[in-house]
Amino acid sequence: MTPQVRKIADIDRLIHEPGRLMIVALLSAVAQADFLYLQHETGMNKGTLSSHISRLEESGYVGVLKTYRGKVPQTLLSLTATGRKAFEQYRRKLKEAL
Amino acid sequence: MDQVGKLLVRPRSYYNVDGVGELGIGFMLFGFALLQWLQVRAPEGAIWHRMDTFCVYVGLMCLAIHYGSKAIKKHITWPRTGFVEYRLSQRWAGAMIAAPIGALVAVGLSLAFQRRGDLTAPGALLGLGFVAAYAYGFARAVRWKWMVAGAMALGSLAIAFLPAKLIAAVANDSWVSHRLRAEIVGAWLLSMTFFGAILFVSGGISFWLYLRHTQVPAEEGQ
Repeated sequence: MTPQVRKIADIDRLIHEPGRLMIVALLSAVAQADFLYLQHETGMNKGTLSSHISRLEESGYVGVLKTYRGKVPQTLLSLTATGRKAFEQYRRKLKEAL
Repeated sequence: MDQVGKLLVRPRSYYNVDGVGELGIGFMLFGFALLQWLQVRAPEGAIWHRMDTFCVYVGLMCLAIHYGSKAIKKHITWPRTGFVEYRLSQRWAGAMIAAPIGALVAVGLSLAFQRRGDLTAPGALLGLGFVAAYAYGFARAVRWKWMVAGAMALGSLAIAFLPAKLIAAVANDSWVSHRLRAEIVGAWLLSMTFFGAILFVSGGISFWLYLRHTQVPAEEGQ
């Protein structure tokens, strides 16, 4: 395998999936955002968004905090230090590969 | 800009998705215009010429903008399209950019004041600088706001090239004109009112469009 091809193979597949890439990119630009904001910005339905967030949470990229805004339940999401580092690496590797 | 890069700037433009950013700046400019007008109209020794009044006035204006924006976000924007908390660096970025620009403007104005030269070019440049900042901060995200930026540019040029006598008439025979050139006071007052009005209208339209095109999700929990 040539080094160039290896660079493509090294890309973080967890982030590379378009839905998850949108989530991670949006969260990387803020301190935290709620589920509704991500749903509004990505245009995904609740089920799909939940499933992507669960994958990212399992891998330690995204932190999830269940709270209340008044009496309304609210899910706050933020990128963890691991997630931020992984996203920066992903962007760098993608640029190198392209 | 690549697609990921575009996603990275979306949260920043989300702050003005409801027009609150423009309404806040418009309110501030109107507030300064009102204070200037009161200073022009008030006789010597009036409360409006005192530094402590100025500080209290600006403080109250900042509080009104801060808590007013927060109230709109809390009761209208967040329940409709979601909550975003910005990073500390992003929250201070505006102030970090505005501070040196403000200092440069102050130095430029004081130099122009000392030299008592023609203020057309500095006035036009100042207005166009404001338009450039508006275009970068707001118009990039929403296409129709380029028309607002264009109107602002034309307006600032029109104010800069208005006959000096006409501009000075705004502040002539007032106590302020004994301390400052009447043209400067007049141009400042006209500019604040014009930019405040245009931002208020643009922000108001954004707010109306936002209310029209969004609604609180039917289900309670997020």
